[in-house]
Amino acid sequence: MSVEKQLIEHAKQGKLLTHKCTDCGHLHLSTAYYCLKCGSKGFEDVILEGTGSVATFTIITVAPAGFEKYTPYAFVILQLDNTHLRISGFMGGITTPADLPVGTRAKITGFDDRGIVIEKQ
Amino acid sequence: MTLVEKVCVLGAGSTKYGKLPDSIADITTQASVSAIESAGINPKDIKASYISNVFGVADKQVHLGPVLMSRLGIPDKPSLTIESACGSGSVSFREAYVNVAAGFYDCLVVTGVEKVTHTGTEWTTTYFAYCSDFFYEGQAGASFPGLFASMARAYLTEFDATEEDFARVAVKNHENGLLNPKAHIQKKITIDDVMNSPVVASPLKLYDCCPFSDGASSVILCSEKFAKENGGDYIEVIGSGRGGSAAALQGREHLTTIPSTKIAAEAAYKMAGITPKDVDFAEVHDCFTIAEIIDTEDLGFFEKGKGVEAVREGRTRLNSDISINPSGGLKSKGHPIGATGVGQIVEVFDQLTGNAGERTVKDAKIGLTHNFGATGASCAIHIFQSV
Repeated sequence: MSVEKQLIEHAKQGKLLTHKCTDCGHLHLSTAYYCLKCGSKGFEDVILEGTGSVATFTIITVAPAGFEKYTPYAFVILQLDNTHLRISGFMGGITTPADLPVGTRAKITGFDDRGIVIEKQ
Repeated sequence: MTLVEKVCVLGAGSTKYGKLPDSIADITTQASVSAIESAGINPKDIKASYISNVFGVADKQVHLGPVLMSRLGIPDKPSLTIESACGSGSVSFREAYVNVAAGFYDCLVVTGVEKVTHTGTEWTTTYFAYCSDFFYEGQAGASFPGLFASMARAYLTEFDATEEDFARVAVKNHENGLLNPKAHIQKKITIDDVMNSPVVASPLKLYDCCPFSDGASSVILCSEKFAKENGGDYIEVIGSGRGGSAAALQGREHLTTIPSTKIAAEAAYKMAGITPKDVDFAEVHDCFTIAEIIDTEDLGFFEKGKGVEAVREGRTRLNSDISINPSGGLKSKGHPIGATGVGQIVEVFDQLTGNAGERTVKDAKIGLTHNFGATGASCAIHIFQSV
């Protein structure tokens, strides 16, 4: 299974598949093929719960094709718990910035035609 | 690194930017011919072409190079097309620069072009999102305004800045664009106009965003020997740098800085033997108001978090401390994405050869161009000096 498909299968379960470098221990999203720090190719799978806090976000009102029916919606960058990693994704049900202060707790909950789906916890 | 040849820009020309009725092949040729005439050369002097374009498919013409060369009467000369999203123009210029500097060619044409306005806002919003790291960003509904809005939200959170401050960038660039007859949007606007314009992706509003534009820009690049023998005005390329950043915003250490700009700037300043203080004016990649603020910090004109203060104090206006985007920038001049990086060099050529009219930066000797692709995943910077 391709790295993208593996990541998708985990996201559908509300999890995030990551890759830990077997040489230096640096953690990456699982689409990495070589270590960012040491260039090594050996990784072990680490499955995260996909929880974190909102690092930044936007509420999109002019949407790309396929997303018109969801507007307004948020595109969120989530700072994952206990790691330097961030993950971005789609969050529905957000209409004003007051609905989603930076730092709001959130979690990956799925993957569908909206890409990685993140919901408030 | 030893360069065989000093490299000069000998001529420059652009179509008007905006909604253009002519085909992509037509406007590519129009801009190239105006650069050829500006340089005072014949097409037979050109040894090869570098074309920058992203969405030629939208106007039913890819492989633009041979079409241009055929129309110029030099179909036997080689050409290639380069795509690097919104940074295509500067990267194309860089490749041409390298070839002249290395002594492979003594005279080249670099032409950037885009023709997309006939496709409408939904098509452009959708296709431009393909320039993101699509698996993580476009696929989750991120538009380009949305990605820069995410940086804007991070900037508002981290620094002492307001949405009105972003609006000041738009007001300033529209002031400059009013003095540029080739600008797409020649309209004076106020902070209130920006604040009251429809939200596209919060906190960015319509007037925080550059327009989708059609347009073509072209420059003639040559060796110093060729320029001297040809006669006429020319400017010298004294610095060239490129850099990269993680394709997706999520992969960057900071959300309020663009690493590729810093990497490219360091290389370009080093090659030119100058510091940011020596730059008289700069054409920077202001696809959104927040981008210009971040750019001016990453380029070293202002400290991190202080770019917004400089805008508030009017220090980036025409003929102030440092004139940023005297052309009107992407915001007012327009953003035909494949042409933009070349168009910035056209502006520097016009400024440094005394052809910038009312928007002339007084006593300017050194100009810088900064152009990036997508959210700054790729970047090229060039520094020019009057001769």
